[in-house]
Amino acid sequence: MGIAKRLASIELSDPDGAAHRLGEYWSERPVVLVFLRHFG
Amino acid sequence: MFCREQVAQLRDALPEIRARGAELVIVGNGAPHFAAAFREDFALDGPLLVDPELRAYRAAGLRRGRVEILSPRLPLNAIRALRSGARQGAVQGDAWQLGGVFVIRPGGALAFRHVSREAGDHPAVAAVLAALAPDAPPIDENVAPPRAQVWLGRALGAFVDPFILGSFDRTGFRIHALRFDPTDLDVDLAGRRCLVTGANSGIGFETARALADLGAEVVLLCRNRERGEDAVERIRTETGNARVALEVLDVSDLAAVREVGDRLAASPVDVLVHNAGVLPEARIETRDGLELTFATHVAGPHLLTRMLRARLEESPDGRVIWVSSGGMYTRRLALDDPQWRKRAYDGVVAYAETKRAQVVLAELWAKELADTSVVVSSMHPGWADTPSVASSLPRFHRVTQAILRTPAEGADTVVWLAASPAARETGRFWFDRAARRTHLVPFTKESPEVRRALWRLCEKHARGEKPRVPAAKQERA
Repeated sequence: MGIAKRLASIELSDPDGAAHRLGEYWSERPVVLVFLRHFG
Repeated sequence: MFCREQVAQLRDALPEIRARGAELVIVGNGAPHFAAAFREDFALDGPLLVDPELRAYRAAGLRRGRVEILSPRLPLNAIRALRSGARQGAVQGDAWQLGGVFVIRPGGALAFRHVSREAGDHPAVAAVLAALAPDAPPIDENVAPPRAQVWLGRALGAFVDPFILGSFDRTGFRIHALRFDPTDLDVDLAGRRCLVTGANSGIGFETARALADLGAEVVLLCRNRERGEDAVERIRTETGNARVALEVLDVSDLAAVREVGDRLAASPVDVLVHNAGVLPEARIETRDGLELTFATHVAGPHLLTRMLRARLEESPDGRVIWVSSGGMYTRRLALDDPQWRKRAYDGVVAYAETKRAQVVLAELWAKELADTSVVVSSMHPGWADTPSVASSLPRFHRVTQAILRTPAEGADTVVWLAASPAARETGRFWFDRAARRTHLVPFTKESPEVRRALWRLCEKHARGEKPRVPAAKQERA
């Protein structure tokens, strides 16, 4: 499916401002990816 | 509230998630400082990311709340904003964005997907854990819209559509989107080459970006090299897709279309989007002796389609999309004076007439290609807040600004027609992913003779039978 591939290239920041490419999280292990409606 | 409950459950399941060799990654759409407080509240030690621009939310196909449409505040706010001439300000975070849960295996296979239908709609933790088993079959939960929502979208759409207002505007988009199936765009366009004219801004840009986002190779056809290069760079950065390129082309210049068309036809072509548009104040004649809107909307695109025809026919799923305008509903196809030599020039009328011609031409091309697998469509995007609308129709833009669609909303049906397996019906005119009537009043219906005359006229110009006029082409923005 295309979704994981599309998500893989997207870079997002953590709360400290460091950028992470989403695909890196599932390069070696499975990932449970949770999108929140909003924080808190 | 609902979110906290979900995160608390998942945090409690974290040891089980990690025992299965997996990691829990949480994405939120608020500002970073909210995320920091959130991490402390929940004592999270796993990755936590922020996506204030909702890029990952969009890529994941997550929903926006339907409460938004049902809320009486939206139309009231729009009316108030209209009265004061102001635009609604952006809200902190995005109150209407819904969430979802995915399980992605190493290498990118999707093992589980739950797309929230409303606040508080979360998957069972046990189902998520089960999907972490290496041999678990992939599971989709709540991806298609609920039947009641589709029914509501159809009913509300049928109610607002005759009024234009509440249909062409952003409220209309939200109403029509109730019946959209998000899986329609769950496609990987890798290996498909898409050409988009007028792609440096507005609907063309959003179309090019969305197609690149879906993995396609995209060629932007733009008049201006600098603006085109900026757009290519932006799309490459924002989508991470490097297969985005520029061809400088003024589609109103038939000699340029021949030259660039030859070059484009050297590689496969799967999708051709005729989006470039102009609305001049005064009559401008091109080097070919054509009035500018006729050359840009009709003669140029016809020639380009003709030049790429063999390539489109070779494609397993060739598509041609004509981006017309709702304004075409006001005019009948008339070819008495297509170059405006006898009439006092009116740019808005010239625009509407050539947009009507596009709709007819798309039908004629669909017939021409009926024996092939190529699908030809025309569409109108509704009222979208694009740079062209702002500069060509300043008064309309000022009055309607608060209720205009975003360019991405305007481009939604173009992308759907270009990319979705659900859009395979040829020769139709579309608006918000539904085939529409091409006439609202009987007065605009054209005769079969005029339809044939339009095809002959386009063929004549495509063959270059008209002598080229040496008059210098006027500068335009």
